[in-house]
Amino acid sequence: MKRFALAGNPNCGKTTLFNSLTGSTAHVGNWPGVTVDKRDGVYKKCAEPVKIIDLPGIYSLSPYTPEELIARNYILDEKPDCVINIVDATNLERNLYLTTQILEMDVPVVVALNMMDAVKKSGDSINAKLLEERLGVPVVEISALKETGLKELMDKAFNESKKIREGSTVLETSPLGHLIGDVKIALKGQNVANPLFHAVKLVEQDEIEANMHKETLPMVEEFKKTFNDEIFGGDFEALVADARYKYISSNFASVLSKKSKDTTKMSKSDKADKVLTHKWWGIPIFLVILFGIFHLTFGEDLLFLGKIFSLPSLEDLGLLNEDGEAINFGVRILATFYDGAVMSPGVWINNVWNDLIVGEFFGWLGGLVEESGMAPWAIGLINNGIFDGISSVLSFLPPILVLFMFFSILEDSGYMARIAFILDRMFRRFGLSGRAFMPMIMGFGCSVPAMINTRTLADDKERTATVRVIPFFSCGAKLPILTAVAGAIVAFFGVGNADVITFSMYVLGIVVAIACVLLMRSTTLKGETPPFIMELPTYHLPQFKNLMAHLWDKTKHFVKKAFTIILASTIVIWALTHFSFNWTFLEDEQVNESILAGIAQLVQPIFTPLGFGSQLGELGWVFVVAVVAGLIAKENVIATFATLAACLAAVTGLDLGELAIDAEDGIDAVQAMIQATGITIPGLIAFIAFNMTTIPCFAAVATAKAELGNKSTYNWTLLFWLASSYVVAAIVYTIGSWWWTLFIWMVAFAGVAAFIIYRNKMAAKRLN
Amino acid sequence: MGALEIILIIACAAIVIGVVAASIVKKKQGKCACDCGGDCAHCAACRAKQIKK
Repeated sequence: MKRFALAGNPNCGKTTLFNSLTGSTAHVGNWPGVTVDKRDGVYKKCAEPVKIIDLPGIYSLSPYTPEELIARNYILDEKPDCVINIVDATNLERNLYLTTQILEMDVPVVVALNMMDAVKKSGDSINAKLLEERLGVPVVEISALKETGLKELMDKAFNESKKIREGSTVLETSPLGHLIGDVKIALKGQNVANPLFHAVKLVEQDEIEANMHKETLPMVEEFKKTFNDEIFGGDFEALVADARYKYISSNFASVLSKKSKDTTKMSKSDKADKVLTHKWWGIPIFLVILFGIFHLTFGEDLLFLGKIFSLPSLEDLGLLNEDGEAINFGVRILATFYDGAVMSPGVWINNVWNDLIVGEFFGWLGGLVEESGMAPWAIGLINNGIFDGISSVLSFLPPILVLFMFFSILEDSGYMARIAFILDRMFRRFGLSGRAFMPMIMGFGCSVPAMINTRTLADDKERTATVRVIPFFSCGAKLPILTAVAGAIVAFFGVGNADVITFSMYVLGIVVAIACVLLMRSTTLKGETPPFIMELPTYHLPQFKNLMAHLWDKTKHFVKKAFTIILASTIVIWALTHFSFNWTFLEDEQVNESILAGIAQLVQPIFTPLGFGSQLGELGWVFVVAVVAGLIAKENVIATFATLAACLAAVTGLDLGELAIDAEDGIDAVQAMIQATGITIPGLIAFIAFNMTTIPCFAAVATAKAELGNKSTYNWTLLFWLASSYVVAAIVYTIGSWWWTLFIWMVAFAGVAAFIIYRNKMAAKRLN
Repeated sequence: MGALEIILIIACAAIVIGVVAASIVKKKQGKCACDCGGDCAHCAACRAKQIKK
C-alpha cells in the first residue's frame, strides 16, 4: 500500500485534513502542538487504497523536541511515497520555510494550500499556478475544514508518487550554494540517501547530522574557516535561515495579492486579543469565563434570576400535589427547567435525562426484576448492586457532555491558546512556561493524553513537574464525584450553590498544582524556565462537526466504561459486602461483618485527619472503599456509594424512599452516605479534594510510568500524589472545621518556605 | 437456588473475569485505556506498533 505523509507547521490543519481523508475522529484543537505522535489511516478514493500518516507539526526539520524528531525521522527513514506539505495559506511566507526544507529531500512532494476559504474571505488571493512554477512541485488549493479540493490533491499526490524526484534547494544561488554542492557530492560518493538534505543540515551545524557523518565533518569545517559573513559571522544556522527567508520573500511573496496594503491594520483577532490577553484583565476575564461555564452547566438559578426577582416555586403556583409531586406530565416537564428559578441548560438537560429517561428506565427494569420471583439476594444484587451502580454513574453523562462542549468551544475558537499566553507570565514565576499549560488544560478532559502531550516540553524537569500536577486538573471521570458531593451538600445541608462549589474545587485543583510546581521547581526539580514561543491561532467559530465528534467520543467511552469496568466493580463490591471472611452470605444489615468492611476498617483511622476516618463511626469505612475503588476508575467512587446505599440504609434503619432518596441518582446516593455516617461538610469537601489530588486512575498511572521513563522518578511521583492529596485534604478539613487552624497551617508553610529559601541560598553560596 | 439465580451468578462471574482478562490482554498488547476513546496520538501509536509486530 502506498504511504503519504502529511507534514506542515503546527496548527496548519494537518489533523483536520487527516480526519477528512480517512474518516477518523482524531482530536483537533485550535492551538499548535495537539498532535505529538504520528498516526495513520486509510484513504480509499484513489486508484488503490493509500495509507495516510499524520505527523506532528514542525516549524523546521532541525528538531528540538521529541515530536519534531518523530516527523523528521519518519520522512527520512520510512521513505513515504509522497509528502503532502500542508501550508497555511493565511501565513504563506512563514509556512514556506518548512517547504523549502522538505523540497531538499529525494521524495515526491505536493503542496496543499490549506485555508484558502479564509484567504478568499479576507479578499486576498494566491496565484497557485505561479507558486507551482516557482516551487517545481504541484500546488493544490484546498480547505480541509470545508473538504474542498481534497480529491484533486489526492489524485495529484497519487500521480507524483509514481515518479522519482531528486531534491532541490533554494540555497543554490546563495553564498552557501558552492559549499552545499561540494558536501552533497561528497555524501553522494558515500552512497548516502537524500544527500542534498544532509549536506544542508551539515552546513547548518545540525547536531544529529554531525554525529551521523563524522567523516565528512572535517571537510565542512575546513571550508567554514574561509567563510565569514558580515552580519552573521560564523553562525551557519542563522546564515542558512536568512538565505531561505530572503529567497522566500523575493520569489514567493509576489504570489500573494493582499486586498489591503496597510500592514499595520489590526485584524479582528488582534482587536479581540487586545482585551482577552490584556496584562491586567486577561486572568480575571479567564476566571469569569470559567465561572460562566460552570454556572451554565451546574447552576440551578440561571443568572440568579430566581433570587433577583423572587420567582414563585411550583408549590407556590399550586402545581404540586400534597406529596410534593407534579400534578401532571406537563408540570413534570416544566419542573425540569423551572422551580422558583430558571435552571441552567446543563441542569435542564440533566433533569430531563435523569428524571424522564434514566430514572424511568431503571425504575421499570427494577420493577421487572422485583416481579421475576428470584431470591431476595439476587434481586438485591441486580437492583441495589448493578442497576444503582451503573445508573448513578450514567446520571452524570449530561453535565460531563455540557461541560466538555464548553471546553471544546474554548479550544476550537482559539481562546485556550491565549490562556497559555496570559498564564505564561504567572507560571514563569513558579518555574513553568506557558507551554506547560496546554497539557494541563487537556487534563480537564483526561490525564492520559494530557501526560502524553507533555512531550512538547523540551526540558525534562519541567516535563516531570507537569506530569505530576496534571491529575490535579479535574478530569471528566472525577466530575461525577464533584457533582454528586456538591449536589448532596446543597440538597442535604441546604447551603451554597452546586456551581460555586464545583467551580471552587476546580480552582482549588489549579491552586494546588501551582503550589506544588513552585515547591518542586525550588527543591528537587530546580532548573531554568525555558522560553515560551507560541503562535497564537486566529479566532474562528467552533466547527459543529468537531464539537459533535468530541462529544460523541466522550459519550461512547463513558457508556462503554459504565458497562465494563464500573459494572464489574459494582459486582465485586456487592459480593465483598455480602460475604464474610468465612464465606457466609450476609444480609444487607450485616454489612459491617463483610470482607470489605473488615479490610476498610483497618485503614479507616488513617483518614481521620481528613474528616472521613474513625470519627464517622462503624460505617465510615464506606468512604475508604470509595477512595480505593476510585483508583480503578474515578467514576467508581459514586458507583460504590450507590451500591452500598441499600446496605447502609438497612443497618441504620433509614427509609430511603421516605427521605425521597433514590440511590439510582448519584447525588441521592451521597445523601444516603451523609445520613448514615453523619459526615460533615468539611469532611465532604476534604473527600472531594483527596480524590481530586490523589493517585489518578490505573490508565493515568500507567501512562505516567511510560512517560517519566525513570523508575525512581515514577516511584517518587506516586509518593508525591499520595502526600499532596493527604496534606490538601487535611488542610481543607481542619480549616473548614476549626477556622483558627488556618494560622497553624500558615506558620507551617512559612517554616517550609523559609527552610527552602535558606537551603537554596546556602547552595548558591557553595557554588560561588 | 433456582435456574435464574444460577444464570445470574454465572453471568456476573463472566462479566468480572471478562473485564479483568480484557484489560490484561490490552495491557499485553501495549494498548492504552484512556478517556480519549482511542483517538489520541498515544493510542494511534500503540495500534501502529501492534500492526508492525
